Amino acid sequence: MAKKIAKRMIDEIQQERTILASHLSSRRDFLSRSWNGIGALGMGGLLAEDLAAASPPRVNPLEVRLPHIRRKAKHCIFLFMAGGVSQMDSFEYKPTLNKLHGKPLPSNQDVSGELQGRLSFEHVCIGSPFKFKKYGQSERYFSELFPNLGEHADDLAFIHGIKTDNQNHGPSTLHVTTGDQFPGSPSVGSWINYGLGSPNQSMPGYTVIQDPRGSPTNGAAVWSNGFLPAAYQGTLLRGKGVPILNLNRPRELSQAQQRRELDMLKWLNEQHRAERPGATELEARINAYELAFRMQTEAPELVDLSSEPEHTRELYGLDQPHTADFGRQCLLARRLVEKGVRYSLVIHGVQIGRNSWDHHGNVKNHMIRMTAEVDQPISALLTDLKQRGLLEDTLVVWASEMGRTPFKNGKLDPTPGREHNSYALAMWMAGGNVKGGTTAGETDEFSLRSVGEPIHVRDVHATILSLMGLDDQILTYLHAGRFRRLTDIGGKVLNEIIA
Amino acid sequence: MRDRKLLLDCLSPLIVCILVPSGTMPAAEKVWPYSAPVDAEPPRVEKSEWISNGIDNFILRKLEEKGVEPAPEASRRTLIRRVTFDLVGLPPTPEEVDAFLADKDPKAYSRLVDRLLGDSRYGERWGRFWLDLARYADTAGLEGDPDMPHAWRYRDYVIDAFNADKPYDQFIKEQIAGDEFHEEMGAGPLPNPEPEHTVALTFLRLAPFSEPRGDETRHELLSEMTSTVGSVFLGLTVGCAKCHDHKYDQIPIRDFYRMQAFFSTVWMPRPDPGDTYQLGGPLPAEFYRPGEKEWAEKLSAKYTKEHEAAQKEFEQHRDELKEKFKQTGKEAKFFYKVLRDPKNDIFTAGEVRRLDELSSRANLLKQQVQRLRPVAMSVRHSYGPPYEPGVPTTRVMIRGEYDNPGEIVKAGFLAAIEGDEKPAKIRLDPFKRWPTRSRRMALAQWIASNENPFTARVMANRLWHWHFGQGIVATPSDFGELSGGPSHPQLLDWLAHRFVEAEWSMKAMHQLIVNSSTYRQASRVENQTAFELDPDNRLFWRFRRKRLEGEAIRDSVLAVSGRLNPEQFGLPIFPALPGDLAETVKYSESKWNTQRGPEARKRSVYIYQQRTLNMPMLDAFDAMVCETSRDRRRSSVTSLQALEMYNGDFVNEEARHFAERIRKEGGSDPESRIHRAFELALGRPPTGEELTKIRGFLEFSGSEKDSDDGLSGLCRILLNSNEFVYVD
Repeated sequence: MAKKIAKRMIDEIQQERTILASHLSSRRDFLSRSWNGIGALGMGGLLAEDLAAASPPRVNPLEVRLPHIRRKAKHCIFLFMAGGVSQMDSFEYKPTLNKLHGKPLPSNQDVSGELQGRLSFEHVCIGSPFKFKKYGQSERYFSELFPNLGEHADDLAFIHGIKTDNQNHGPSTLHVTTGDQFPGSPSVGSWINYGLGSPNQSMPGYTVIQDPRGSPTNGAAVWSNGFLPAAYQGTLLRGKGVPILNLNRPRELSQAQQRRELDMLKWLNEQHRAERPGATELEARINAYELAFRMQTEAPELVDLSSEPEHTRELYGLDQPHTADFGRQCLLARRLVEKGVRYSLVIHGVQIGRNSWDHHGNVKNHMIRMTAEVDQPISALLTDLKQRGLLEDTLVVWASEMGRTPFKNGKLDPTPGREHNSYALAMWMAGGNVKGGTTAGETDEFSLRSVGEPIHVRDVHATILSLMGLDDQILTYLHAGRFRRLTDIGGKVLNEIIA
Repeated sequence: MRDRKLLLDCLSPLIVCILVPSGTMPAAEKVWPYSAPVDAEPPRVEKSEWISNGIDNFILRKLEEKGVEPAPEASRRTLIRRVTFDLVGLPPTPEEVDAFLADKDPKAYSRLVDRLLGDSRYGERWGRFWLDLARYADTAGLEGDPDMPHAWRYRDYVIDAFNADKPYDQFIKEQIAGDEFHEEMGAGPLPNPEPEHTVALTFLRLAPFSEPRGDETRHELLSEMTSTVGSVFLGLTVGCAKCHDHKYDQIPIRDFYRMQAFFSTVWMPRPDPGDTYQLGGPLPAEFYRPGEKEWAEKLSAKYTKEHEAAQKEFEQHRDELKEKFKQTGKEAKFFYKVLRDPKNDIFTAGEVRRLDELSSRANLLKQQVQRLRPVAMSVRHSYGPPYEPGVPTTRVMIRGEYDNPGEIVKAGFLAAIEGDEKPAKIRLDPFKRWPTRSRRMALAQWIASNENPFTARVMANRLWHWHFGQGIVATPSDFGELSGGPSHPQLLDWLAHRFVEAEWSMKAMHQLIVNSSTYRQASRVENQTAFELDPDNRLFWRFRRKRLEGEAIRDSVLAVSGRLNPEQFGLPIFPALPGDLAETVKYSESKWNTQRGPEARKRSVYIYQQRTLNMPMLDAFDAMVCETSRDRRRSSVTSLQALEMYNGDFVNEEARHFAERIRKEGGSDPESRIHRAFELALGRPPTGEELTKIRGFLEFSGSEKDSDDGLSGLCRILLNSNEFVYVD
């Protein structure tokens, strides 16, 4: 095992050296190749770094680039449940726990770190209060909280027992969304936009639709571009009112007057540019203003759901109070896919308190309430994408920042909850090139941790990139002396869930 | 060889495999950048009339070798705009431009440079670059993003240091070892460090931090100090060697921990009561800047009074609500539960909102009082036994893991520079009273020494980078293999020697650089040969047009509208944020305390640096709050910038004030108004064609119903123009 890893690391070093050599020896030649799009095949890091060093941006950062591997998925919708969803009350059927209800876990658990700490205190197992049922040909168990999603069982591929490196909300949220537990690294959507560009040039390539009740832990760091150029950061679509910050023209300005002003501005800028030949950055800025003007028209249309037919509203539950918000978020995500936006991050739940999935107490009632908000909208999204023939172009990922423990610390009480568990995050994927009905990884009979070698979150990231046609070893960016990548030291693609 | 063997024994086979391709010890002959800078004579050139100082010899020599002509000198109008933005970060006033154009003295330009270097706004601009390197922020980041109420004093320290032209070697020592300046002599108490030095040490406490976890956190903090000091002062990505030997540079993992060992006696005060996120306490540091003590006391008294009143008001309202609750006959312990339930039928939404507002106001005032305490977010050395921990054993931590100790190492300097791995000579207290002392000072002295091959080169290159938008080494915090090497190695060495010769004066370096012909070249030049040969302009055959940084854009908008508050230093400011942003990303302890008055219109360097909340306008222009040390700014072009500048509240409000200013200062004639607007915003009069076009535009706008005279529109256009944000 160690030998294998070592060999791979040496290969990596050699590979990086080759890239470096090509960079150092024929920088100009390399750059000109990059412009033709060849550089984007694997050396995007150097390309962008060169652009950063040579301040005039030579290419449109969101220009569509070829994937590294041939894949069907062109868009990705990442559904993130903030707070740490209880896996044994949703997708992991663990009857053993019910037998142990009120008793401590058998004492021979070979665990370390935080789990060991928690288990060294008084604790009692909590059996799931929910019934489980098998769905689809894959005969997969879903708890009664997901009756709608269950109907999609054969489209979903599950990953169990995923490990992150920290069991606190802040770091683990970042670990799942950016591959690094500390702020400052690019999020998954930034990497994908950096690797592939975005088909719609009138909209940002990466949008974020957060819960109208507030932000997840870490706020904007969750959709940060980190050390990648700013063009790759997530743009927050606002829950209420104007969807993008500063999208509306100043109130006192009529549309005609604004157009007149922009024409005047353009004329001035053109005069200015004419005296400065070869200044591509000036041209880029002129175009940016035109794009912004187009966005002013396009984005409000996009978030205006009034044109959606009644049956769609019904499907997503827009007229029921408990599903209206997340239903709207999911429907927006579908509309963004239709418009060609590359990546959408859809967040349910807020950092802390009642509207978080962080159920330290009364996991039963809270899970009933929270799942009722998402089950129908998520199911609707899958149905809708499928009906429109978009599901095979669209990778849908469902995640949280961690799993929860099969026990609670302290004594049994009438409304028990569950603690954090960074060893047992469960996720699923659908659409794109996902092989429905399959499973990767498995947790033990308590849902405490993975059976065998755990799947690390970087393996999941490598898989997401791969499903989008990107190779995590090739998608690199030179930053602070290192070729950085989403998967840090490299992830293992979970081939068992890829079609 | 023995060391090598030891290393092999200790590390896992996995690491050994990595060692093979890259981990050889430095060869006897040192190569760049490990070799000492050579003080070469500036080379001979043919076109000697172009030469203003030694810099030009090196630049021109290369250009002549390639057969490329340097660009002609930029116009005087361009020069004053360029150098004013460059040195103080603001546009020159029309009066300054006129005076410079009228000054026929051949020394007019160098006098202009001297004036700008003597302007205290210089420190605000150049201090900001240093704050990027120091990963300065006012909050600790990570979970909770708690406020660091005293971090702002470090920001003022940095601005002062630049303005006072503090010698760079001194600047280094204060930030790494400010607490270890006094030599111990005989008995008596340990002398307290200078307050200014205590503030300088905030540099070591600016890593993102929250919720300590014992040894792991200490390991991470000391490692962060090691990597940051390595990349900031030495331009070496020492941090890459935390987990394994550096893949590209001559820094084995041992060297990382040998360097980390200098920090091993760093001591952080334990958390103050009420420090929810356990950031650790501050250290005493009297206010030392002139007038600062009186200012702080006065302001603190004012805020204390206001806080008491606000607290009273809050409690009064809360008690009223509690009373109302009691009337309904419910149990008192359910008060907050009901209050927070949006569906409750006891309290109105207005009542709850008011309670929150009052509570938040009281908290924010308390925070302001907190910020005005005479303390600093600082570190000191441990006092050692029998009071505090002594000098711990430092070990290589295998794979960088805090609980995976390997061989023991002693504090020592990088072997690739020193040529050996001997332990550093640390001048210990001869009376053995404070054995924990002087470790960081030993490192600081080694870094800040005239002999260190990196220090002067790295800083000279940083200054060059900030002036030209491109370093001689393109990656200023990484002089290693991946930097691609220097474009002009001899020039960089020459600059390093001048820097040391000038006793580490940064202002002397500015003078040298901006007075060179290289710097005064035009950016607007057509030179096909040069462009084909060197499209990136790494040979400096013309001046690189620069996009202003986010801070400079905001400051310039305010300067042009006439509303920039020139007040310097002091507490962080909180300009208004668009929409409900201040509310959406919030933590109770670092909430955005929006100010509406003139205090919010101070320069951008004073804006509260909240790690989880970037001001959208600055963010759009690549001026994000730092998490880690940042050596360069990007200059991206995006549509979000256009939305921000064209539709955003900030620019539109200032455009209205700008228009108002034009009406006052530009006479009543439309033509003279247009003139004034161009001169204020762009530093030049309009061309005839522009004048005609804009007159037409104004007349049309003026005829529109519900519109002003079109001047606000014109001002909006000028602030949005490429010429406003790109400096030739």
